[in-house]
Amino acid sequence: MNRRTVTALVINDLRQLARNPRVLVFAVALPLVLWPLMWFLTSLTTERRQERIESRTYTYAVADETANVAGIADARAWLERALAVVGGDGRTGGAEPADGPAVRFERVEVPDDVAAALDEERLHVHVAWETGGDEDLPDDDADREAVGDASERVPRIVLSYRADLDASDSAEGFLRRALQRTRTEVREQRLANAGFESLPEDLLPLERIETASEEQTSGLLLGRVLTAIIVMMMLAGGSIVATDALAGEKERGTLETLLTTAASRVEIVTAKNLSILAVAFATSVLNIANIVVWMQLDLIAAPAGLKLVIPVGAGVLLLLLYAPAAVLLSSSLLLVSGRSKTYKEAQLLFAPVMLIAMAVAAIPVLPGVELRSAIVLLPIANLGVAAREILTGHYDWPLLAAAWAVTGGAAALLARASLRTLSAEKLITASDTDAADLAGGPALFPRRVARWFAVLWALLLVWQLNVGGGLDSRLLIVINMSVFGAAAWLMIARYRLPVRETLSLRNPPPAAWLGVLIGAPAGLVLADGVVRLASLAMPIPEEWIEAMAEAFGADIPVWQMLVFFAILPGIFEEIAFRGVLLHGLKSRLRPVQLVLVAGIAFGFFHVDLFRIPGTSLLGVLLVIAVLRSGSIYPAMAWHALHNALALGSARIEQIQLPDQPTWWHYLLALAAILLALRLMRQNHQGASRPAGSGPEGRVPGG
Amino acid sequence: MSTVQVEVQGLTKNFFDQSRGEINAVQEVDFECRGAEIFGLLGANGAGKTTTLRMISTVLQPTAGTARVLGHDVVSDPVEVRRNLGFYSASTALYPRLTARETLTLFARVNKYPAERTKSRVEEMIERFGLGDYAGARIEKLSSGMKQKVSIARTVVHDPPVLIFDEPTVGLDVLNALDLQKAIQELRDDGKAILFSTHIMSEAERLCDRIAIIDKGRIRACDGLGGLRAATSQHYLEDIFVHYVTGNDTTA
Repeated sequence: MNRRTVTALVINDLRQLARNPRVLVFAVALPLVLWPLMWFLTSLTTERRQERIESRTYTYAVADETANVAGIADARAWLERALAVVGGDGRTGGAEPADGPAVRFERVEVPDDVAAALDEERLHVHVAWETGGDEDLPDDDADREAVGDASERVPRIVLSYRADLDASDSAEGFLRRALQRTRTEVREQRLANAGFESLPEDLLPLERIETASEEQTSGLLLGRVLTAIIVMMMLAGGSIVATDALAGEKERGTLETLLTTAASRVEIVTAKNLSILAVAFATSVLNIANIVVWMQLDLIAAPAGLKLVIPVGAGVLLLLLYAPAAVLLSSSLLLVSGRSKTYKEAQLLFAPVMLIAMAVAAIPVLPGVELRSAIVLLPIANLGVAAREILTGHYDWPLLAAAWAVTGGAAALLARASLRTLSAEKLITASDTDAADLAGGPALFPRRVARWFAVLWALLLVWQLNVGGGLDSRLLIVINMSVFGAAAWLMIARYRLPVRETLSLRNPPPAAWLGVLIGAPAGLVLADGVVRLASLAMPIPEEWIEAMAEAFGADIPVWQMLVFFAILPGIFEEIAFRGVLLHGLKSRLRPVQLVLVAGIAFGFFHVDLFRIPGTSLLGVLLVIAVLRSGSIYPAMAWHALHNALALGSARIEQIQLPDQPTWWHYLLALAAILLALRLMRQNHQGASRPAGSGPEGRVPGG
Repeated sequence: MSTVQVEVQGLTKNFFDQSRGEINAVQEVDFECRGAEIFGLLGANGAGKTTTLRMISTVLQPTAGTARVLGHDVVSDPVEVRRNLGFYSASTALYPRLTARETLTLFARVNKYPAERTKSRVEEMIERFGLGDYAGARIEKLSSGMKQKVSIARTVVHDPPVLIFDEPTVGLDVLNALDLQKAIQELRDDGKAILFSTHIMSEAERLCDRIAIIDKGRIRACDGLGGLRAATSQHYLEDIFVHYVTGNDTTA
């Protein structure tokens, strides 16, 4: 990549922007004024509203003063006492209540139509008395007798008001709180009079000690919103350049000029990304600095408990952490711009990108979401949660690295996709579709397979995060397997894929079955080694082990264990992953890439973080098994046997894995795996043909 | 005789269109262009001229066949191809908010012209194309004639040995078109290999050393004007064109 070319292109983009006064005013200068202004006006409005609430005189009316109900005198006395606190009968209240200011209440005559008076705000709150109704009576006859008839029951005070009218709502709030306080005081007084030795407030006194430091409390507050704020500002700033970056160039006709220069596509995309990042970064810094200055000038107030101070080390780490997120966002914007035909279309398509990014960035606000969970696999959200943990002083290094790598990987994928956009001929011509696009069907499937599985993975992740954990493990497996089966069927039907070819429904070489018998237990030992290795960086929590034991617990009969956790996954996961996914990727990847991508993708579908390493290894082995044998059947048997042995090792002592395996266990397992895979090798001279089919069964060798 | 700068062999491009199905835009086109030569591609709209030139400029990928610019293959070595190429067409616009000088500097840089000579080369272009009075003005403020001059200057600012002019006079008035033709002739005299596409017979007649008549994606004839006249017994290029495209003799 030529640095001089990239620099020239970046300078050109920034120059175009700097010379567009309309964009500068509306996209840069105006937000600088509007953000703090909105904040200022919001706090000013809240302040004014509070002042109005406190300075207003509220009207109340008391109904049915002559009602001769036992206890009504007490209730009326309580009302008087409450009004004395809040400031009744035109006088400002005496002692200020603990939970609110003193306000003025003025009594008015009971209107003929209370509802109309409340509606017209002649009356703010109406006070009435009611004896307990029959619906409050106990079910038991003896208890009902003890309560007595209506005239003897304790009356209750009924406050009528309008929640949709500010004054009425406030009046009811003040009066209700005063009455509740009065009731507490009266109750305590009565208990004291009845000889209760100590006041209820003296019983079980509670003291709270906050052990989090001020920085940690403030860090939590900041960490919850920091990612969302940064993402919002980066997107708002970046979109200014991104719209113009490709869509604007297309519309102006300068893109073809650029594409016919000696600048490579990589240089152009790099320059466009750098321009977006530069502007996004500059506008974000400007906006944040702007808000900080306004706060320093006391023109806007910072949220209570928030200190805008980040330790230098944490700040540097956060910058490093947000770098792939920034690239991810700029690449998304560039991709949208590249896919849009016009400036207007690009602006339209930015909206969903912003919504999705904001929804993901807001995840750290959710309580209880930790980095050491499946969230580490969700780009941007993982960095948001990581940032929150860093700001509260928790540094989970392996997971921080994993989050960084996941978001970085997603950023790289998107950058590659935006690079491909520049190579798309529709940038220049109207007809860029080729035979596969036009005809659809099997030829198109290899290009769509990644999209299908990405959607499937996202659905599975959302499902697992929200619902999955609460279900019986058998039901969960049935649902998951149904989804895999349905998705595989949909893809086969949608792209008219040949079923036998797609799913490798062929007779394997007979030695493959021996390979399964050797490979499955050896694979389990090797998977154990991988899990132990991964646990060095990512220790498995005890709770997780207990949860797994519970999910596959001893209360499930053995036959059910075999059906639900060995046979069903052995069939449906193989159809989806070693059948449809492998078939789709086969023509696009080289053998080693194919094995790794298809195998690790299988691991990632086990969205539980601690299961990914082991299942990825299993995925890799099963892909090799299918490629070498040319048939899916040995992989199905291997998968089922692997799961059965894994479950059995937890329940049957005879087949338990050694507690502390040594290196030679693993070496032996590796040798066994190699032997098993060797046995899988199909006989190229022989009849590796679709089961029960004609001669068309030539299969790609491993 | 000058060396071959552009070699095109069996160049083919098929598009697939949702409504029209497969379109054979260019079919097995062969030709070559030497230094100090203007090679014309003469054809009606939609004949395949622009698609051919876009494949040579690496913007489109050929479906089959090869094209080489100074020996660099358009598929395997596109950056080197573009470094040795200047592409001008009615659809290659300029950045409106840059000045003429900034435009030339930008294109010299992105075309990897030596850094130490960029400034002097830009000034040389400004002088050669008479842009001196307007070099500091933004492109958006210039007249269409001036914009055209800046466009030609940016096409040649990195001194490429091969130039492509794809229907360059479309939308220009007569005087501007003549100015452009004069500039192209001067560039040919400088030794550049020039690929020139047009559907205007008089332009091809006046400018081109050799002409390829292209119709429905295929080259029907390729020769100098004298050779074409001799082969068809027609004097005017218009009649020669009709002869090859329709097979009818218009002088009968």
